[in-house]
Amino acid sequence: MTNAAVAEQTRLESLHQLLASATHDASAAMCRWTNGLITLTLDEVREVPLESTCNELNLGDDLLTMVVLTLEGDVGGAMILTFDESNARHLAASLLSRPLSQDTQWSELEKSALTETGNILGCAYMNALTRLINADLVPSAPYFIQDYAASVMQQAIMAQAALSDEVLICRTGFHRQGAELNWRVLFVPTEGMRRAMEKAMGN
Amino acid sequence: MLASVAMEIETRTVGMGQILLARNPGRLTAVLGSCVGVAMYHPRLQLGVLGHVVLADSNGRPGPAGKFANTAVPHMIQMIEKEGGKASGLVVKLTGGACMFGSGGPLNIGQTNIDAVLLALAKYSLRPADQDFGGTSGRRINFDCATGRLTVEMVGAPAKHL
Repeated sequence: MTNAAVAEQTRLESLHQLLASATHDASAAMCRWTNGLITLTLDEVREVPLESTCNELNLGDDLLTMVVLTLEGDVGGAMILTFDESNARHLAASLLSRPLSQDTQWSELEKSALTETGNILGCAYMNALTRLINADLVPSAPYFIQDYAASVMQQAIMAQAALSDEVLICRTGFHRQGAELNWRVLFVPTEGMRRAMEKAMGN
Repeated sequence: MLASVAMEIETRTVGMGQILLARNPGRLTAVLGSCVGVAMYHPRLQLGVLGHVVLADSNGRPGPAGKFANTAVPHMIQMIEKEGGKASGLVVKLTGGACMFGSGGPLNIGQTNIDAVLLALAKYSLRPADQDFGGTSGRRINFDCATGRLTVEMVGAPAKHL
């Protein structure tokens, strides 16, 4: 491994450490919101070539239900909470203490339950990052989106794509009482956010 | 006895910043958000080139030609010229350029990308024969290089054929 590769590996490991701490706080918030059912773990922090980002993250042309929060500014980024239809419906039913909806359309109440989940998760994550990197981060109101996941990811990585041909992605998984769920959180920091995180870790 | 043989048509996915060429009967596909899909078809040669443009202008920065509108369009035309075609014989169709996150933030990247592609095409006196861009939804596109037809699918809407 070259010196540059070793340095890059060290930087990614530092970022992993910092983001694991933010994920821990988000997991605690999620656990409270779901009455102890759901927890999160940081699965990976890695750089992927721009052209294969969606393939590498298995974001093909499937339709997903997503809640998106963005952070505007130089120290910014985007957080995307993704579910498949079935998992999203189950979460909404569980949060609303209602039977599973058989409707093809999403009711405003169901959308609200999911966006609130994104809000709680995102705010806990951003609050942790604010503390860890000592910068004010104010996330946008969450958006409820049903679309091709690759389309949403494209917009999320634009800020990085403007500066580099590789993008940094942080992928988080969810568990219900130890069993993995088909939900994910993808956090895509801007270059400014990445620099702020590296600085906080002393790199 | 005649055996029926189903011919499988090759479909390749064009990733962000990539440009791919396919000949009849090949197909090219992509999923677009704020990126712009530039489809160029040469009817006589029956070949198509699809570019998945991510940003408007390279500003001289190195990177894959397909990533930026100002480098993608000349590169796509060069690819067709290498096959014996000319820019004047091309049918161009555009799609994508959505603003996925509502307001789009301070810059509407989708619209900026569309404007940049139109400008780059104008340098070759090319104008889109058909187009479907903007909005706030993603698009799944399929470019049929046997016919030059570009099919655009959006969630909750009937497919459009350009």
